[in-house]
Parts: sequence; structure tokens; C-alpha cells
Amino acid sequence: MVEQATQHVTDATRASAGKYLTFVLGQEQYGLVILTVREIIGLMDITAVPRVPEFIKGVINLRGKVIPVVDLRLKFGLPEAQHTEQTCIIVVAVRDVEMGVIVDAVSEVRDIAAKDIEDAPSFGSAVDTDFILGMGKSAGKVTILLDIARVLTNGELGEVEQLASAAA
Amino acid sequence: MNTADCHTQLADRCERLGAQILAADPADREGLVGPGTDLEALLTDAADAPRPVRDLLARMLDTLQALYEQRLPDSASALAALATAAIAAATALRDPAECDATPNALTVAADALQEADGATATDGPDAAAPATASPVQGSIEAPLPPDRPGDSANTGETPMPPPAEAPSPTALPATFLIPPETDPDMLHEFAVECLDHIRSAEASLLELESDPNLPEPINVVFRAFHTIKGTSGFLGLEILQHLAHLAENLLDRAREGKIHIRGGYADLALESCDSLRTMIESLRTAAPGTAAPIPPATAGLLDRLRDPEAAGVSEDADVEPLRVGDILVAQGAADRATVEAAAQSAGRKRIGEALVDDRAAAPADVARALRTQNRQGAPAGDATIRVATDRLDSLINMVGELVIAQSMVAQDPDVSGGGRPRLQRNVAHAGKIIRALQDLTMSLRMVPLKATFQKMARLVRDLARNTGKSVTLVTEGEDTEIDRNMVEALNDPLIHMMRNALDHGVESAADRTAAGKDPTGTVRLRAYHSAGNVVLVLQDDGKGLDRDRILAKAVDRGLVEPGRDLPDSEIFALIFHPGFSTAETVTDLSGRGVGMDVVKRGIESLRGRVEVDSRKGRGTTFTIRLPLTMAITDGMLVRVGEQRYLLPTVSIERSFQPQPEAISTVKGRGEMVLVRGELLPLFRLHRLFTVPAAVTDPCQGLLVLIEGEGKRCALMVDELLGQQQVVVKSLGATIGQVRGVSGGAILGDGRVGLILDPAGLLALVDASEPHTHRPAA
Repeated sequence: MVEQATQHVTDATRASAGKYLTFVLGQEQYGLVILTVREIIGLMDITAVPRVPEFIKGVINLRGKVIPVVDLRLKFGLPEAQHTEQTCIIVVAVRDVEMGVIVDAVSEVRDIAAKDIEDAPSFGSAVDTDFILGMGKSAGKVTILLDIARVLTNGELGEVEQLASAAA
Repeated sequence: MNTADCHTQLADRCERLGAQILAADPADREGLVGPGTDLEALLTDAADAPRPVRDLLARMLDTLQALYEQRLPDSASALAALATAAIAAATALRDPAECDATPNALTVAADALQEADGATATDGPDAAAPATASPVQGSIEAPLPPDRPGDSANTGETPMPPPAEAPSPTALPATFLIPPETDPDMLHEFAVECLDHIRSAEASLLELESDPNLPEPINVVFRAFHTIKGTSGFLGLEILQHLAHLAENLLDRAREGKIHIRGGYADLALESCDSLRTMIESLRTAAPGTAAPIPPATAGLLDRLRDPEAAGVSEDADVEPLRVGDILVAQGAADRATVEAAAQSAGRKRIGEALVDDRAAAPADVARALRTQNRQGAPAGDATIRVATDRLDSLINMVGELVIAQSMVAQDPDVSGGGRPRLQRNVAHAGKIIRALQDLTMSLRMVPLKATFQKMARLVRDLARNTGKSVTLVTEGEDTEIDRNMVEALNDPLIHMMRNALDHGVESAADRTAAGKDPTGTVRLRAYHSAGNVVLVLQDDGKGLDRDRILAKAVDRGLVEPGRDLPDSEIFALIFHPGFSTAETVTDLSGRGVGMDVVKRGIESLRGRVEVDSRKGRGTTFTIRLPLTMAITDGMLVRVGEQRYLLPTVSIERSFQPQPEAISTVKGRGEMVLVRGELLPLFRLHRLFTVPAAVTDPCQGLLVLIEGEGKRCALMVDELLGQQQVVVKSLGATIGQVRGVSGGAILGDGRVGLILDPAGLLALVDASEPHTHRPAA
């Protein structure tokens, strides 16, 4: 377990300086490494898929491709919000697989310098910060830099399952 | 612009030219084209430059030309002289005052050029000299032949007899000496590096086998030979240098498009690789100053490389081109004896000319024969190109999107409103083109069944021989096209069925004669398109299925209640039941049983269905119906609440609205519905998928009878919306396998509809059944 904890620390400091697409979710501002972002599209009709986790809202037709859409609010345990004009889908590519992410609003593309990036804070075991690359500071605001691959591939879920089966 | 500025500009250009020439590769003729063009332009623009400079530039152009034509013995030093001359010209141009003082530099440069060209003047253009290699010693030295007539494609004539004075094979020593002063480490490094080059050259040569026109593999092979030539020359390994040089020349001709590396040329290049490898392998361990063996085949190889055409090498290794003489004889323009005689006397003269000279054939006839030969020898042309399937798939995707986008435009109230007839007409016209485009893209993945049928012909032949039966296979419709992926998946089921037909269907010749039939059995394999499906019919005229025994067996196995009679079709369908596929069943029954369930599953996995019909003593007929492509599914669009789903049409038996009394609830086992005397489980799709706002009364909704993997059930939906052909798409790795859903499809309005998987749904129902006590999600 000690080893795993150090692993988390090293993982959490991977954020590097560069361009981030920032967006708003609830009260917070988040950032995605710009290279993972393919495009931003307006909200469209989403076909619900039965028997999948709640945060997977369904699938959409992206110019002939069927791609899944994840509601980041639900994924992060926030209450579902009414969709507005601002609500949009950020299409990201995780290991060459495209996926849509619903966010409240997209803000801007921001350059974040290395000196403005801090490690993800540790909240103990109560809050999982595994999918946070780091915290970016700029103009008095804090942007949470996300590792979108970890957010979407359920890496932490798999770990939990492994731990459970190891304990059993 | 004044003269001084003008000259400075010219000087800059001269300098650039000098740099270009310095960077040029002596072996790379194409690399000289650029400097040549620049130099010509420079000469034109330098009209008012001092005369000595103009003379020098003209001189340079001559040398460059000679270099390009590979007339110079030492191209490397010629290039150096050219570069020096360019710099001298630049200096003279930059400072006109110094021009008078520098004629010396200009003259020196001109002399150097003169010297570099020297050989040209004395030897004439015919005298061939190894263009780039430094002279090789002793017996392995041989002059390169002049331009070969066979190089250009338009000389279609092949000398009738092989040239009598075939060059005698070069004598080669059995070993070659590794220069004693060589550094052993360097030798080892050289060997390892060269072996790497040979490996990549071989890989590229094999690539060229499939498409000799690919430029990159030719360059890879060329570079490999070029590097080996260079480094082995540096190490003083003359035999290697010589062999690599000749091989490089071969590839150079290929680079220029004079020959294609296939057939005999490919063999030649591969042999060169082998020979080089054998010699270089021995260098890895050899010590400097010792002798290494030369493979005995090398001498012959060198001879063939020197003049491949004279050695009978051609692009087509298997098919000999028809000889003009033969064509003339075949056309009746000359008789064989005359042609033979002319060929004897013709020597190296072309046979056509010899015949005309001897007045043995009319020039017109010879010309016609030559045309025939050219036509025959000409490559069939690139009738096909290879394209990666994922590119095709994305093309199909994009076109599908285009169709949807077009229909959205066409249905836009602004367009369809009727107020703008011209716009409406134009949109309709675009729609027609787009639909034609869609048909075309769909056809790109289609291949004819011919190859499959040919495989079957072979199988029947072998099986007939093994079983000692006499069987004829009659095929029909082998041009019927089907999706490429399906052709492969179709092979196994077909082989299975064909084997059954021959093993158990067609009787032995004796039995057939006894039954009053033709002793030779006939198996018919037909394919045709019907209503968007491909239909394959496999028909034999054997003894047919034994209905009574199948029924007895089924009763025996508890598949059918005893004493119950079934229609023929249902009895025959029993052979597809998994229980009937065991080996002893096959021998007990009158045949048909070997893996018929496997056949059925194979065909169902292609979204097809298989039916059987049989008449005792007359034969059995299997009919396979397949969709044209796996990528497209024929689906029934159903609505549940606000959601729409697609049910594959093949798995739907019927749909109906039940009477209230037909539905009964079995405690703990859910709902059942009575359909034509049969009690089937009833499942509500809105409950399975937790869809809100759906019809909850089965009598208000609609029941669809679906079948999957041998199980049946009634599925309740709100309504049927109609049949639709859709392209099947995966939902992506994140969502992964959703039970009961086989994929997604883009519907006509651009939204995604989920395609239901009946087998998965039935499994889902089974799995969730024991958990009915769990609170609903």
C-alpha cells in the first residue's frame, strides 16, 4: 500500500506546461491538454444506451461515426444540470478512440506556465485525485488539469475491483 | 536594373548551382536534371556577361549533359570540376574588374572540364565504361553493354533464334582476397551493415512482386546496392563492388521505368542479394589478408546482370512471348520452313527484317505480326489498385453521412415548401447523384464468388476421388458479388455442406444405377441476387433426407413429443439442432448431421439464414440467404417510448397484437403469451431497458416474435415504424458490449438507433429472471 501511495504522488505531478482547453463544470474550472481535444460541438440528440453506468449518457452520430458521450457532472458526482445554450460536447481522443464529454461551458484555450502548475492536493483517501494532473493557477483562479484518459477509462474502477478481489 | 546588380544576381545563381552540383550523387542521374535546367537558364540570362564566363558556362553544360548521359568515365571528378567551374564563374561575375585578372581561374576550370570530358571525345558514345565504379581488376572486369534495344517498350521484336554468339561466361576465381591492411573491426561492421541492407532490399523486392511500380521499394533496393558498392569499393573488395554495381544498374533501369522488377528481373535482383549475402556472411568471421570463397553461381549471375535481355531475362518469367516468326506462321503469311531458314541466316538481324529482305513475307504481314506481339506483350494495365479497407470504410461512412445531410436539406421547409421549384429540382438532382455515389461506394467492397466456387470445384473433385463416387459439380452465377469479408466467412459452412452432400447425399454409382438414376451424381451450386440478398443454393440429386428416421431420432432425444407429426419443413429443420451433430447420429441417420448446427450458426453469424428441402430418392436442396454485406443490416425500426430500436429482420417471425385472454402471468416466471397453441415467454422491452413513457398494456402495444439461437420469445414494443437498411457501427470501446445490443446505426434523421441482438436479449432475460425480487432500478 505504501508503494501505491508513492505511485499516486508521482502520477499526480505529470502535468506539464502548455496549452489547455478550459471549461466550466458547476463552480469549478477545469483544463484539458489541448492535444487530446478533437473538436467542440453543440449539444445534439443523444441516444440512450440501456444497462450502462449512469454517467454514460448514450451515443451520438459524429459525421457517420457513433461515439459515446459521458456527462462529466454525473461522472464527478455533481447533480445533473439543465442544459443551456452554453452546454456543449467536447470531443476528445483517448488512445485514438473518440469520445464526447458534456460540460457546462467551454471557456478558452490558455497557456499555463510550469511555475503556475502545482501538484494535485491530497485529500486523503476520501477524495480520489488520481485523474488530476495538477492544479493550474492564473489570475487568481485555479484550474483543475484533468487526465481525461483516466477519467474516461475507469482506471480507478478497475483498481477498486482488483483490490476487492485481493481482499476477498 | 543595372549591369552590376544583374551580374551579382547571376553570381549568386552560379554559387547556388555549384553547391547543388557538389551535393549531387554521381550515381543519381535524376539529381542532375535540376542543375542542368538551372544552368541552361543561367546561360540564357547571362547574355551580356563577359565572354569567358559565357564560354565556361556553355562548357559546363556540355559536361553536365555528358554526365547525364553517363558517357564519362569518372563522374565524381567531373562533378568536382563542374563545381569548381561554377565557383570560378561566380567570382568572375561578382567583380567585373577582376574578370580580366581571373581568366586564369576560368581557363583552369575550363581545362579541368575538358579533362573530365576527355574520354568522351576519344571513345565515342558507344564505348561503354563502368560509369561510376572505379576500374575492377583482372578477369571480373567486363565492359558494360551499350544501350539495350530491349529497354524501350516499342521494340517488340524478339530475335527468333537465341543469339548464336552468346557471350561466354566470365571466368571467376573461386575465392577473393580480403586486403590485408583492412581493419578487422571495420570489416565486421561493414558485413553487419551490408547484411541489414540486403535484408531490407529483399523485403522491398518481395513488395515489388505484388506491385512493380511502387517507387519507394525500388529506391530502397537501389540504395542498398549503392551503399554496398560504395563501402566494398572503399574496403577494396572488388568482386562485391562489381556485383553490387551491376545490380545497381539493373535497379537504375527500373527507377527510370525502362524495366519492371518482376518475373526474371526480380529473380535476378534476389539472386544478387543471395550472392552478396553469401560472400558478406563469410566476411564476418574472416581475417584480413585471407581469402573468402566466391559462390560458384556468381560468374553466371554477373553475366546475366551485365546484359539481362541477352541472357533471356524478361519481366514475365513464366510466359514466353510469342515470337514474330510463330505469329507469321499462325497467320499464314509465311510457312514454317521459310521462317526457320530466315532465322538461321538472319544472325542478329531481326527476324522480321530478315523475312522482308528475303521476300519471304510481305512487310504489311510482318507489321501486323509485330502489332500482335506488342499487344500480347503489353502489360494488362492497372485494372485494379489496392486500397486499405479502413479507407474504404471511412469513404462509405462519409457517403452515408452525405445521404443523410442531403435528405435533411431536401426536407427543409424552405426547400420542400413548394415556393421554390428550381431549388427543389436542383436539390433532387443532387440527391440522385448522391444515391448513385452511395451505390458505387457500396459496390467497392464487393467481390465475385468465383474464387469460392473454384475452391468448391477442387473440393468436389478430391472428395469424389476419395469416396470413389462419380460426381459432377455444376456452378452457376459465380459472378455474383458479395462483401469481401463475407466471402471468407462463407467458406467453412460451404465446405461442410459440400462434404455432406458428397459423403451422405450422393450414392455410389452402383446404388444409383440400381435406383434407375444416372450413375454420375450431380451437385449444383448456384448463386444469385434476390431482393437485396445473395442466395446460394446447393442442390444434390442423391437419396435425400430420411424424414421418418429424423423424426424417430428427434422423439428419441426428446426434441419432439412422441406421436406428434410435424410438417416436412420442421422435421428437416431438426437437422440443424445441435443435438443432431454427434458422430454416431450421422452414421445412424441417412446422412446430414455432421456439424449442421455449426453450418447454421456460421450462416447466422453472417446475418443469413439457411433452409433445407428434400425429397426422398430425389435429393436435397439447401438454400442460404445472406445479406449483401455484413456492414448493412436489414432492420425493423420499432418504437418504445421515445426511443427507437432496430430489430434484425431475419430474427423476426411475426408481429401481432394479442387478445387479453392470450396473456397469462405465471407466478415467479413472468408473463407468457399463447401464440397458435404455443406458450411463449413475453418480455417488455421498456422494462428490460428501463424506458420511460412506454405503452404498458400488451394489448395496446405490439408483440414481436423473435428467435435467436434456437430460443423464441415475444417482445413487447409500442409500435413498428418500418423496415430500414442500416450500416452497423460499433458503440465504441468505452461502452463495450451491452447485452442485448449488437451495435448502433445512423438513422435517416441523423440520430443513432440501437440495433438489438435477439440472442443477447434472450440471454439477458434468462439472466435477470432469478433476480426479479430485486428492487427495480
